[in-house]
Amino acid sequence: MNQESEKIYDPKTQSSLKNALASVQLTIFLMSLTALTVLIGAWCPQESASGKEKVIEQFGADTAKLLTQFGITDIYHSPFFLSLIAMLTVNMIACSFLRVFPRIKLLQKPLPFLSGKDIGKLPINTSVELKGNDQSALTALAVRLSARGFKVATSGDKLLAEYGRFGRLAATVTHIGLLTLLVGVTITSWTGFSGFQPVLLNSHLDFSQSEHSKLWVGKLPTWTVRVDATHREDYPTGEPKQWFSKLTVLDTQGKEIKTQEISVNNPLSYDGVDIYQSSWGLDHIFLNFNGKEKRLDLQPMGKLYAAFLPLDQNSVMIFSVRADGIIKVFAKRPDWEAPRQLGEITKDKPAKLGPVTISLIRVMPVTGLQYKCDPGLPITYVAFAFIIVGVLMAAIPHRHVWVSLETGSKKEGATGNENKTDDMAPSKILYFGGRSVKAKVGFERLIKTLESQMASEFGIPKVEISEAQPTEKLNAGHTNESSAQKKKEHVLAGSSADSNAKDAQGDS
Amino acid sequence: MSEMQMALTNTAGITSVMSFWVFVASNGFKNRKDLLVKIGSWTLTLAFVAVTAAIITRGIDAQRFPLANLYESLLWFAWATMGAYLALAKAYGVRQLGWLASLTALLMFLYGSWLPQSQHDIQPLVPALVSYWRWIHVPPLIISYALFFLGGLSGFIQLYQAGRIASLITAAATVSLAILAVVLGTFTSVETAWLQILFAGASLVGMIISFKLLRRIDKNRGDSKLAETYDDVSYRCIAIGMPALTFGIITGGLWANHAWGTYWSWDPKESMALVTWLSYAAYIHLRVHRECSAEKLALVSIVGLLLTLMTYLGFNSLGLGGLHSYGNFK
Repeated sequence: MNQESEKIYDPKTQSSLKNALASVQLTIFLMSLTALTVLIGAWCPQESASGKEKVIEQFGADTAKLLTQFGITDIYHSPFFLSLIAMLTVNMIACSFLRVFPRIKLLQKPLPFLSGKDIGKLPINTSVELKGNDQSALTALAVRLSARGFKVATSGDKLLAEYGRFGRLAATVTHIGLLTLLVGVTITSWTGFSGFQPVLLNSHLDFSQSEHSKLWVGKLPTWTVRVDATHREDYPTGEPKQWFSKLTVLDTQGKEIKTQEISVNNPLSYDGVDIYQSSWGLDHIFLNFNGKEKRLDLQPMGKLYAAFLPLDQNSVMIFSVRADGIIKVFAKRPDWEAPRQLGEITKDKPAKLGPVTISLIRVMPVTGLQYKCDPGLPITYVAFAFIIVGVLMAAIPHRHVWVSLETGSKKEGATGNENKTDDMAPSKILYFGGRSVKAKVGFERLIKTLESQMASEFGIPKVEISEAQPTEKLNAGHTNESSAQKKKEHVLAGSSADSNAKDAQGDS
Repeated sequence: MSEMQMALTNTAGITSVMSFWVFVASNGFKNRKDLLVKIGSWTLTLAFVAVTAAIITRGIDAQRFPLANLYESLLWFAWATMGAYLALAKAYGVRQLGWLASLTALLMFLYGSWLPQSQHDIQPLVPALVSYWRWIHVPPLIISYALFFLGGLSGFIQLYQAGRIASLITAAATVSLAILAVVLGTFTSVETAWLQILFAGASLVGMIISFKLLRRIDKNRGDSKLAETYDDVSYRCIAIGMPALTFGIITGGLWANHAWGTYWSWDPKESMALVTWLSYAAYIHLRVHRECSAEKLALVSIVGLLLTLMTYLGFNSLGLGGLHSYGNFK
C-alpha cells in the first residue's frame, strides 16, 4: 500500500469491514478469479450462445451432464459468476470512493522548491559546476524542460518542473468509466431486450413470437415488421458479399409507418429498437412437375443450397440451387460413382427430363433478423469514452524536476567530486534531480542528457550521475514504484523538505 | 500474391533471421559486441522496412485494408514487434531484447509461411468483415499483443539479470511447451483436447514452479542495474499495450453493436481478450499498490504472455470456435 493512499485513506481509522471491501489485495484476488472463470467460459461452449447440442457433441453426454451440473455450460449466468461480479463491483465502488477519487485533492497541493542538499537525496540527481556566475544556466534549463513538455515554475534561484500531472488522474477517470459502464449495463439488462427470428419473404417479424431474451422491466413492441424483399449480393467468385432486406414497419392496425432496406452493418431503427441483418439463406423451392406443384425444403451446402427428392429406394434426385435462382438437377444411383447432371432450370427455362417437364415457380429466401432494444447504450458509450481516455492517461509518466542554483563548493553538494580542492574560489553550482512515476529509465536518460548539455554549455565537465538507492535492489528484492512514491510523498506532504528527505532515506 | 509482395515478405523474413543470429553472436563475442549490436539493429530495421512495404503492397494488390486473415495478422504482428523493439531500443538502449524480438518476428514469419496457400492468397471478404471498423478494431489489438509479448520477453531478461536462473529456465520451458501446443494444433491433426491439456497444464504447472523457484538466486549472474532497466521496459510495454488492448476491445464492442446488435456476446475470443485484459489490470494493480518484487512481476508478465498467445493464436489452433473464426482455415 503506498503512502499516498494511506494519507487519504488510513485503514487504522476505518472499520474492518470497510478495510476488507476497499482492499487492493481483494481486487487482485477477485480479478484473477474472474479471469479464470471467464477462461473456463471461453473454453467450454456456452449453451446460451451455441446450444446444448454443441456441448454434448464436444464432450459426450456424460461429461456434458456433469459440466451442466456444475454450471460450467452456462457459466456467465451461474450464481458463482454473478456473485463474483457483484463482489468485484462492491470492491471497485469502495476503492473508488475511499482510495482513488480522494487523490484528486493531492494534485491541488503545491510542491515546495528544494535546496541543493535535498535535491541530492532524490532518486535521480546530478550537479554541474558552472563556469560563469549568472542565471543563464537556470534559464537555459527551464527552456529545455519546457521544450520537453514540462510545466516550469521558478522562484529566485530555484526551479520546479512538472510533467504529466494529469496522468495521475488515470485511475480516477478509468474507475469513473467502469462505474458508468455498470450503470449502463444494469439499465440495459433490466429494461432492454434482444432476440432473433428467421423471416420468410413477405412474412412478418412478430416480436412476441420470436426467440427473445428474458424480460425484466421492459416490454416487447406490439408493432410488426414485414419483409418486402430480400436478396444476396455475391463476389464474382460466388462468395457472398452482402445480404439485403427491404423492411416495412407496420403498426397494430397494419398501417405502414416506415420502409427501409437493411444490410449487414446497416440496421433499421424505430421506436428505440434496432433491427439487424444477421444471416441469410434459401428456405425452400416450389417446382412444377408436369403441372403438379411441389414444395422442396432446402439445406445449405457450402456456397449452394440443395433439395433431395427420392425417386425410388435407390435413386435420388438432387436440386442444387444457387443464390441467384439457377437450379442444376442431378440424379444419384448407388452404382454411379458420382451424381450425374440431368439438366438446368432457370426462371424462364424449364428442364425437360424425358417425359417430365420441371419448371421453377419460386425460390423462397429467408432472412435472419436480429433485434435489440438497449436503453442503457448512451451511458455505456460515455463509459467507453472514459475508460479509453483513462487507460491512455495511465501510460503518461508523472515526473518532477527540481533545480537549485547555489554558491559553494561541490563537496557539500549532491555529488562528491573528490578531485576538487577546497581552496578554490566559491563558484555557482547547478543542482538538479527529480523522480518519475513509471518510465524511470527514460527519465534517467533525460536527466543525463540535460546534464551533459548543461556541462558542455555552461560548466566545467567531469561530473557523474549519482543515485540515491543504487545497491539495495537485490537484497531488498525490489524497490518498485510504490517505494519511489513513498519517497515522493514524504517530500510532498511535509512542511520541511529537509526532514522529509531524511525520512525518505531511512525509509528505503 | 504478387511477385513484388512475395519478394518483400521474403526479404523481411530472411533479414529477421539474419538479425537474430547477429544479435545472438553479439552476446558471444564480447569484444565485438557494439559493432554486432549495431549490425543487428540495422538488419532488423531493414526487416521492419521490408515488412512495412510488404503489408502496403498486399493492401494495394488486394484493393483493401490488408488485415483480414491469420496470415495477414502475422505480418502485422511481426511488424509491430519489430517496430516496438526499435522504439524501445532507441528510448532505453536495450540490447538483449534484440535477439528475442527478432526471434519472435522470425517465428511469426515461419508460422505464416507454413500456413496453407489459401491463407497466402488474397481472398474476398466475408460480409461480416466488410466495414470500416475492421481497420479501427484489429490493428490496436495486434499491436497490443506484440507489446505484451515484448513485455513478457523483457520479463525473461529481468529474471536473468536478477540471477533467477532456475525460475527463468522453467518459465522458458513453459512458454516453449505452449508454443509447441499451438504449432501442433495448427499444422497437425492431433486431438485438440490433448493440446488444450498440454497448453493449460504446462502453463499452470510451469508457472507455479517458476514462482516457487524465485527463491533460488544465482548471485554470480546478472546485473541489478540492468534488471531494473528491464523491469521498467516490461512495465512500459504493458502500460502502452494496455490502452491499445482496451481500445481494441471497446471498438470491437462498438462494431459488434453496429453489426450484431450487441456490444458483448461472450464469444470465446471476446472472453479471452477480457481474460488478458483482467490479467494485465491485475498486473497494474500489483505494481501500483503493493510491495511486489520485480521478479514476481516479471513472472506475472510471462503469465500475461501465455494468455496473449492463447488469445491470439491458441484460440483457433486449439479448437475454440465462435464468431471470430476468420483466422480458421481447417
